[in-house]
Amino acid sequence: MAPFLLIFISLFIGRYPLSMGQVIGVLGIKTGLSATAPLPIHINVVWDIRLPRAILGALVGGSLAVSGAAFQGLFRNPLVSSGVLGVSAGAGFGASLAIILFGSDTFYVYAFAFCFGILAVVLSYVIGTNYTSTPTIMLVLGGVVVSSIFSSLVSLLKYIADPYEQLPSIVFWLMGSMASARFKDIAISAIPMGVGMAGLVAMRWRLNVLSMDDREAQALGVNIIFVKGLAILFATLATAGAVCVSGVIGWVGLVVPHMGRMLSGNDNTVLVPTCLSIGAGYLIIVDNVARTLTGSEIPLGILTSIMGAPFFVYLLKKTKGRGW
Amino acid sequence: MSIIEAEKASFSYGQQNVLQNISMKVREGEMFCLFGPNGCGKTTLIQCLLGILKTSSGTIRLRGRDIRSMKAVEIARELAYIPQAHEKPFPYKVIDVVLMGRVSYTGLFSLPKKEDRKTAEEALERVGMLSFKDKPYTQLSGGETQLVMVARALAQQTPVLVMDEPTAHLDFRNELGFLETIVRLVKDTKITVVMATHFPNHAFYFENSNIESRVALMNEKMFYAQGRPDEVLTEYNMYDIFKIKSKLIAHQWEEGKLKQILPIKTYG
Repeated sequence: MAPFLLIFISLFIGRYPLSMGQVIGVLGIKTGLSATAPLPIHINVVWDIRLPRAILGALVGGSLAVSGAAFQGLFRNPLVSSGVLGVSAGAGFGASLAIILFGSDTFYVYAFAFCFGILAVVLSYVIGTNYTSTPTIMLVLGGVVVSSIFSSLVSLLKYIADPYEQLPSIVFWLMGSMASARFKDIAISAIPMGVGMAGLVAMRWRLNVLSMDDREAQALGVNIIFVKGLAILFATLATAGAVCVSGVIGWVGLVVPHMGRMLSGNDNTVLVPTCLSIGAGYLIIVDNVARTLTGSEIPLGILTSIMGAPFFVYLLKKTKGRGW
Repeated sequence: MSIIEAEKASFSYGQQNVLQNISMKVREGEMFCLFGPNGCGKTTLIQCLLGILKTSSGTIRLRGRDIRSMKAVEIARELAYIPQAHEKPFPYKVIDVVLMGRVSYTGLFSLPKKEDRKTAEEALERVGMLSFKDKPYTQLSGGETQLVMVARALAQQTPVLVMDEPTAHLDFRNELGFLETIVRLVKDTKITVVMATHFPNHAFYFENSNIESRVALMNEKMFYAQGRPDEVLTEYNMYDIFKIKSKLIAHQWEEGKLKQILPIKTYG
């Protein structure tokens, strides 16, 4: 529930002051419950800027956190994040390429980021596949190799990009932002994010079993190749959907799952929904700060860690790293 | 009737042959011990029996069905596996670990139901670990962990337990406690057990406890001998395979006969 409340609260936060009545008025006219027309500027601020950003923040935060938790379980390693199979690096390359080829404000940026994000995961999976099994360490190494290739390619693109137009766009994209959020963008990216999150939430109990040794999991009755592949597919859809609209936002996919572990324990049946809430709420809050703290936007990727780190340290101290 | 049956089963990793012409029958309600030196192929055979590894020739049948044609979920309702050492990736609660035994009864997108939770708790109770239910299982000792693994296997409600050197990492007392638990389970529930072990006296322990026991002595990818413990674990066979001098002793005490084989010295 908390994320919905935060979305609502976000409507009031911003550099353009609005009263409770004015916000309600906009919501009323848009949902057809009230007939009194508010000022167009109010509609613009609430309905076209704050609401979509808050919704997108919730979707992106939830996606990154849930897929991060799933990957940590899948790889039996608390140090991996949602980008472990190279989806962020691949998306970064795709977006940079599209910015250079077609300019920064085009649909191609999303499409390229999404497709290259998926491509990176497919490559990691192919590299990590040994005969018919997918040993964890091979997959992780596959992800490392693919990530570093795409990171190098991004550097190459930055090197050849036009330093006045393209380079700043690339750099800004890579730092992450919700600034471009419009309902039409949300509608497109919400499909992979929604499918990915819903899939992981639905199969969350299987994630417990997948975190066991492959042989044990199989003896428990799990078709390893299929179920592991399915979990990777869902996590990748969620992450790629998030990264393609928001750029690379670090930290959420690594640390939010740990916040969840400290708060709710490691059982994925509880952990996954918890991560969904924390991730969604966290990114809404961070985005509110990003757009209000200074006159111009602060890139999200910077704030997620600056704001999250103190809270994470506080949790670590409070729980004394319980269970680790 | 035999539950598991291997017929001239062989297995190889690429060119390297690891199992050769293994034929065996595991009968209902018996204790079947696989015994042999390090690297003789016990673990590989266990993996083949579980359907995790596929034999390269010959067949393994589970209740008459070729195991290669069975799905993981079907096998998991017949055979439960207890590994030699369990790696603990996350500090799950004990009960959550035991609940994993219910996976083969639950759909891919479903959660365990109330009855599954009850089955898991009963399984914990039967190994005497119910009071540990809500503890993180990373805090358990090696012996307690193995009992949780047994509970997880029991939650699978299978007619057969397959164990791969389950006492390899346990101390003196925990090892005995583990064997006692298994004996009690076999007597109470008529469960069938296949167990790989490094200790010949495990087989005698089961026989001393009046459980129908058989041993397959493995050496270099093959079965060297198969039969009742005192037919197979003889002083001569110990010499032939391990190059050790040993003494089989039998001792009569109030609760029956105790047989053990004592290792005495190695030959060069």
